[in-house]
Amino acid sequence: MKHPLRWAALAVGVVVAIFAIILAVNVGTDPRADLNTSRLLGKPAPDFSLTKFDGTELKRSDLAGKTVIINFWNSWCRPCRDELPVLQQWYRAHRTDESVVMVGIPRDDSTRAIRQAARDDQMSWAVANDQGAKSATLAFATRGQPESFVISPRGIIVGSVLGPLTPATMDQMVRVGKRNG
Amino acid sequence: MRATLGILGIAIGLGASGVGIALLLRGVLRNDVAAMRAGRACVFVVLAGALVSVAAMEWALLTHDFSIKYVAENNARSTPTLFTITGLWAALEGSILLWSLILAGYLSFTAHRFRRRLADPMVGWALIVGLTVSLFFFLFMAVAANPFTLVEGLVPLDGRGPNPLLQNHPLMAFHPPMLYLGYVGFTIPFSFAMAALITGRFGEGWLADTRRTTLVAWGFLTAGIILGAWWSYEVLGWGGYWGWDPVENASLLPWITGTAFIHSVMVQERRGMLRVWNLSLVIATFALTILGTFLTRSGIITSVHAFSQSTIGPWLLSFLFLVMASGIGLIAWRADALHAPGRIDSPVSREAAFLANNLLFAGLAFVVLLGTVFPLLAEAVRGSTLSVGAPYFDRMTAPLGLLLLFLMALAPALPWRATSGEVLQNRLLVPAYVGAVTMVFTLIVWTRDWSTVLGFGLAAFAVAAITRVTFVAVRARRRADSVGWARALGRTVAGNPRRYGGLVVHLGVVAIAVALAASGSFGIKRQVRLTPGQSVTVGAYTVTFVKLHTRANAQKSSVSADLAIVRGGDRLGTYSPAISSYRNANQGIGTPSVRTGAFEDLYLTLVSSRSGRGRVTVGIQVQSMTVWIWIGGGLMALGTVIALAPRLRRRPAEHPLPGEARPGELVGAEPS
Amino acid sequence: MNRPARRLAWIGLGVIVLGIVVGIAWPSPAESRSEHVRRLALEFRCVDCEGLSVAESATASAAEQRRDIGVRIDRGETDDDIRSAYVELFGENVLLRPATNGVGVLVWALPIGVVLLGGIGIFVALRRWSRQPRLVSTDDDDALVAELRMPHHDD
Repeated sequence: MKHPLRWAALAVGVVVAIFAIILAVNVGTDPRADLNTSRLLGKPAPDFSLTKFDGTELKRSDLAGKTVIINFWNSWCRPCRDELPVLQQWYRAHRTDESVVMVGIPRDDSTRAIRQAARDDQMSWAVANDQGAKSATLAFATRGQPESFVISPRGIIVGSVLGPLTPATMDQMVRVGKRNG
Repeated sequence: MRATLGILGIAIGLGASGVGIALLLRGVLRNDVAAMRAGRACVFVVLAGALVSVAAMEWALLTHDFSIKYVAENNARSTPTLFTITGLWAALEGSILLWSLILAGYLSFTAHRFRRRLADPMVGWALIVGLTVSLFFFLFMAVAANPFTLVEGLVPLDGRGPNPLLQNHPLMAFHPPMLYLGYVGFTIPFSFAMAALITGRFGEGWLADTRRTTLVAWGFLTAGIILGAWWSYEVLGWGGYWGWDPVENASLLPWITGTAFIHSVMVQERRGMLRVWNLSLVIATFALTILGTFLTRSGIITSVHAFSQSTIGPWLLSFLFLVMASGIGLIAWRADALHAPGRIDSPVSREAAFLANNLLFAGLAFVVLLGTVFPLLAEAVRGSTLSVGAPYFDRMTAPLGLLLLFLMALAPALPWRATSGEVLQNRLLVPAYVGAVTMVFTLIVWTRDWSTVLGFGLAAFAVAAITRVTFVAVRARRRADSVGWARALGRTVAGNPRRYGGLVVHLGVVAIAVALAASGSFGIKRQVRLTPGQSVTVGAYTVTFVKLHTRANAQKSSVSADLAIVRGGDRLGTYSPAISSYRNANQGIGTPSVRTGAFEDLYLTLVSSRSGRGRVTVGIQVQSMTVWIWIGGGLMALGTVIALAPRLRRRPAEHPLPGEARPGELVGAEPS
Repeated sequence: MNRPARRLAWIGLGVIVLGIVVGIAWPSPAESRSEHVRRLALEFRCVDCEGLSVAESATASAAEQRRDIGVRIDRGETDDDIRSAYVELFGENVLLRPATNGVGVLVWALPIGVVLLGGIGIFVALRRWSRQPRLVSTDDDDALVAELRMPHHDD
């Protein structure tokens, strides 16, 4: 180890080895695992002001004291279509339940396509694609579609799911929402 | 049948690589020429194996043999023939197959070229190293990334077809093969560098042996990168050509170190210095090609083109580790003998400029590498990711790039060893004035953005310096030979193609630098909604939406908007950006329509045609000087070709005495 | 070109360069609102695209974010306020240019450090080399050469 070049080679080797170990540890892990949870969890839900298809306004304050499920969707997104039966089934089962409300907010779509899809699929929970909806997609820090949130009766975001809902996650979301009431 | 043939080809390649290594090892260790000869023959068998496999894959693609999983996933009956052929590099397994074929090609070329130096241990070891790389890739295909895996269960009636982005533009036929020809070509200088370390002959011999191959690889890599940028511009629809995406960075990294190497070898050739540095650069370049493949193909980083396949990660990582460990180990082992004699006499000399050049290139490579992997490192350290994007890379690379441009302007005026300040002042005065005047002009007419002003000024400085040095040489040749300017220029270039090819490459770099400097400051970007017949004015252009077209075939259905363009009363024609929906994908893929001009491009995209009432949303961008990137790329390719030309030895007959003209030849006349 | 003329030419060039520096550094008119929005939008990662900034993306969420940046500017929020508001919403990875506090400082400091160290190394080496005397002929050597070159008178 007399020659200075050997020390240099050793130093480079150590750096490369550390680098390789970090890469090796990272292989196979989802590079965006930490992006899948919303940073809004545990925080008060942002205000929003939406327009229903019948023209009436739907404000955050109107829903105080209820468990609110917010579902961001698009007419053209395939995973959104995949979860539609889950939403429809849940909606039918809870239509008369005054303590829970579901709201479907369009995320990146045209006004016409949203209106048509909501009519064709009887998505009575969906709202119009206006500035209020656009503001909500940013206020909820949505990162894709579908993305769903549950707001507790006290107004805290207590759960979020990025990607299509299953009957199980749907039930769990409502349970968590009510428990935190 | 086709799958069997393909697997047979892989087996042949794998076997021949292994046997070749064994025979060549026996040859070099025991001085057994017969074994060497047999080992060399194995290289050609590897090529044959790779050819059989690639032919089997193309055959399977063209006949839509969906019993092969790769074909079923990357081809459909409706896929046009061109994209059926390019299906070979539409996904990981096929790309590795193409990689193996190119590697076998380069190795065979090397084995053929050095056929008379078969007993030379340097050549023997280089082939052993090259075949080891080949062994890895064939083994990789045989075990982890087999392109000929059959589908499970029933053979599907139709395949999924390639990713829409890969069947949207004919450039896809050229960009990936060019890139691979570049990537893989660096295996040859790497093999010789390792051979030099093993045999202890790390003088200038291995550099001379690999100079041309290195240049070929570099030229292909350059062309591949530029074509990739062009593809992005023509397909992705955001108006840019370079996004500092991990995959783009992965192709840029070996280019940077390769470029540094091409410059620093000249110092070793002339002065015998920088031996360790050159060996390290070559090893780093090869390792970076593997690292790039690992980063982009293992799914460790998400990016536009990343394929996520975590099973191949450990393979590539192990190979990378092997490359780095053997490279560093060999340098450490040879440390005592590697010390080179020689020194640099003066800071005002060509070799000192090359040192500065290499420092800047090394800095550039470090910035790009660190920025690309930093999200991973940050995640490892603190558990949450962060992003490193264009604003970081732009800010860090711009000063380095401008300094390199400055060196490029300075270098042709600097002689080897040392020079007096007076000579240098004489040589630089006019180019420096050209640069300064350009800056003043830019400042007054265009912009006050410092990077643009400096970029334009240094570009003009560099062009003037290159023109001056060429002019002086041509004028001298013209006087000496009493010929016309054109002939004198031809003779000057033919007399030292390496130098003048290099200068042409530099002109290409200047063109690209100008385009990059311009892109920072000028540009308009608008998104407008138009009803049929409605017009909008953006910059100097008036864009009128004429009508919407819908077209559908088995491959895709497209909606395109006809937009009539008028500038200053001149009709520039109708351009039709489109959105295509492919059968196999959710989201529409945009096809921009670009009106290219010398100073600005009008870049049109169809953002949405769903707004109702026949309205469309159109993206309109005015981009400055983008075309100079493609022109610069062309110049760089041309310069590389010139630099590869053999030096012409001048015959005495070409020195006619003054006034003694040969029939039909103009003397001293300037060609019109 | 003779010496004084050349000196004059270089002084002229120096004056021009000084003028250019002043021209660049002269305070420019305040940036317009749209320039301000674009400058900030370039710093944020578009959350539902791959590797594009909010300024370059055509998605609805990017458009909304551009609008929101404008609203925030109108409201009088500083650039740092806007940055931290988005970090609060989406996390640190929304910034395409890593912040210079925390781990992020390394991605800026390391390359600068490496290039500076390399530069100093080359500078030191060049100085050491130029201090080592080159092999120059002494007076004795010159005399010897002169003597050998001299025609031999005794012939």
